[in-house]
Amino acid sequence: MTDASDPGPASAPLVPVPPPLPAAAPDATTPAATPAPQAAVLARGHLHPAILLVRLLESMQQAVLPVVAGVLLSNVWLLAFGGVMFLLRLGYAVARYLTLEFTLTADELRVREGLLERQERRIPLDRIQDLGFESSLLRRALGLAVVLVETASGTGAEAKLDALSRPAAEHLREVLLAARLAATARIAAAASAPTDPAAADGTAATPPPPPAPPAPEPEWTVHRATAGELMLRGVTDMRLSAFFVTGYAAWEIADHLGAASRLAGTANSVRDWLLQFSPAMVALILCGLLAVVMLFGIVTSTLGNLVTFHGFVLLLRGDVLQRRYGLLTTRQKTLPRARIQRVTLEQTWLRRLLGLCAMKADSAGGSRTDGAEVAGGWDVVLPLAAMPTAQSLLPAVLPGLEREQFDWRRGSVRLVVRTGVQGALLAALVIPPLWVQAGSVALLALLLMPAFALLGVLVWRNLGFALGNEFLTLQHGIIGRTIAYVPTTKVQAVVVRQGPVGQLLGLADLTVYVAGGSPTRLPDLVLSDAKALGAAIAERAALAANHSW
Amino acid sequence: MQAAALPRPEDRLERRVVAYWMLGDTLTSVILTGLAWFVGRPQLAKHWDGFTPTLEYVLLGACLGILLLGLATPPLAFARWRYGFLGDLLLMRYGILFVEERAVPVRRMQHVDLVRGPIERLFGLATLVVFTAGNEGSAFRVPGLRVARAQELRDRIVEARGDGRL
Repeated sequence: MTDASDPGPASAPLVPVPPPLPAAAPDATTPAATPAPQAAVLARGHLHPAILLVRLLESMQQAVLPVVAGVLLSNVWLLAFGGVMFLLRLGYAVARYLTLEFTLTADELRVREGLLERQERRIPLDRIQDLGFESSLLRRALGLAVVLVETASGTGAEAKLDALSRPAAEHLREVLLAARLAATARIAAAASAPTDPAAADGTAATPPPPPAPPAPEPEWTVHRATAGELMLRGVTDMRLSAFFVTGYAAWEIADHLGAASRLAGTANSVRDWLLQFSPAMVALILCGLLAVVMLFGIVTSTLGNLVTFHGFVLLLRGDVLQRRYGLLTTRQKTLPRARIQRVTLEQTWLRRLLGLCAMKADSAGGSRTDGAEVAGGWDVVLPLAAMPTAQSLLPAVLPGLEREQFDWRRGSVRLVVRTGVQGALLAALVIPPLWVQAGSVALLALLLMPAFALLGVLVWRNLGFALGNEFLTLQHGIIGRTIAYVPTTKVQAVVVRQGPVGQLLGLADLTVYVAGGSPTRLPDLVLSDAKALGAAIAERAALAANHSW
Repeated sequence: MQAAALPRPEDRLERRVVAYWMLGDTLTSVILTGLAWFVGRPQLAKHWDGFTPTLEYVLLGACLGILLLGLATPPLAFARWRYGFLGDLLLMRYGILFVEERAVPVRRMQHVDLVRGPIERLFGLATLVVFTAGNEGSAFRVPGLRVARAQELRDRIVEARGDGRL
């Protein structure tokens, strides 16, 4: 395992014995039916009964379409189908509610469920990356929260408790965090015990230190997003692609409803209507339409951001970062700092012009690719902040970064040659067939060369990297920009890769893999640089792996 | 920043792997070119008026090229492949057009697999696959090993990690 057992620098008090924790029952307690054989049960509970109301409403919502259709068409079968679906869903929900039981011991979290097919899921505490909460509007009205248990499997939530009462969920998290602290401390103590000669002899007169209970750590607010920041985030969120996707979906639906031919007819009449204007007027109308579409996109994304990230607060408690946000669906997500694999500051071109950026973190629990949005904003650490603010907040997320002195270096200028050569190759491929078709117009494809070279210049200007003592940092982009920080202790593998053109020019790409997916790629380094850098990173990673095992 | 690059890994694959790769590549390319020539060509000639004899020669050339490529790449790939241990790092270096050098700390490996396909077994070869915790590109393969050698490598990795897990 990568870092499952490395305790955060400030988090783990070296206590050999786990401190006694209060056993508690968040919800309806059952008299211990199956007592855990070795570990004491810290918490045990069931789902909150109010979830049945949520499920009832959901089942009704599901059944409403066939039932309404059945009444309208006076079709008995549709009515029966709706009824059966309603009963099945409700029955499933009731069975789940009755059978689901979770148990938290000092070692693991156990979730049992199932009526016909019983299953028991056991998740070791040191594998749990995150305990997140989410509650939709309805659940919030009922005082419920969905608890998401995330592990390093990279597939999202490993287990989902839908739903507990809010205090029970909070309580479960408290107990779990404390238990995990104790567990990591126990592992650390076990690892250090054989190397400690005094302890091994047992002759030393020093009594073992009393097990200090982990004091409730003070919370401090790292950042509180203002409404202005969130508005800006929405305005600078150029997500026209989403708009196109919606448009396409709308077209599909229209097509299914047989409205496509009518739409085509409308389009024809619109074209006729447009043709009566002068070309300049037509251009103006089209531009106006485009502006309306863009405005619509901006307004929706602004509203979306305000709703998703309403009241965003980033807190730090001990070594655990916590984020709370959301207007309709509230989310609460913890992120232990020791689990952070990579932090990026991302600037789209508009945000870069305005000196703004968003901060995101990859934890071993989930993965994403550069620039991609994760549903619900799970990876967002700062929705939007001015660049200097974000820079100054970085050490709170990646402790130790404040000690680094980065000696920034650029990529090789030969990068421009490489992209130029690629443009030339592309042009050579495109021109012959075009020549056959269109004659000398095909020579326009030669413009690909300067275009690619320009791209190369832009990429080169934005490319920079630095290897400090504990962190690798990389800056890249074309018009926008991303700055990534990777702790070298988290590195899983290093790859130096040379393509055919790269071999000719003596260039190589360096890719650094961390747990949880998103690799960090340093393109077009001079081969010797790439190899030296790769070797340095790999050696540090190996060293760190030996320490943290 | 340290200036020294890692030393190159020294171990080579089994020579038999060339024959194994050739067999595999030839099988796939024979199927591919056979489909293109005996199924694709008559169809094209029937339904496309622009299918001239010149194009037929181009197609023939492409098919022969693919067949030749299947025979030519395995020796080159074999000549390039190197792997080896350097302290706590497993190093690999391979590739003809795209040359890759990979370094994986042994203690970062999640689990180690030995894979032996049916044809691989005929040749007495095995592939060592190590997994790290990354999602993308987290599997690292060393093909064309003698079975005993592959087992030895696996045991070495397990031993180096020191906890006896597979």
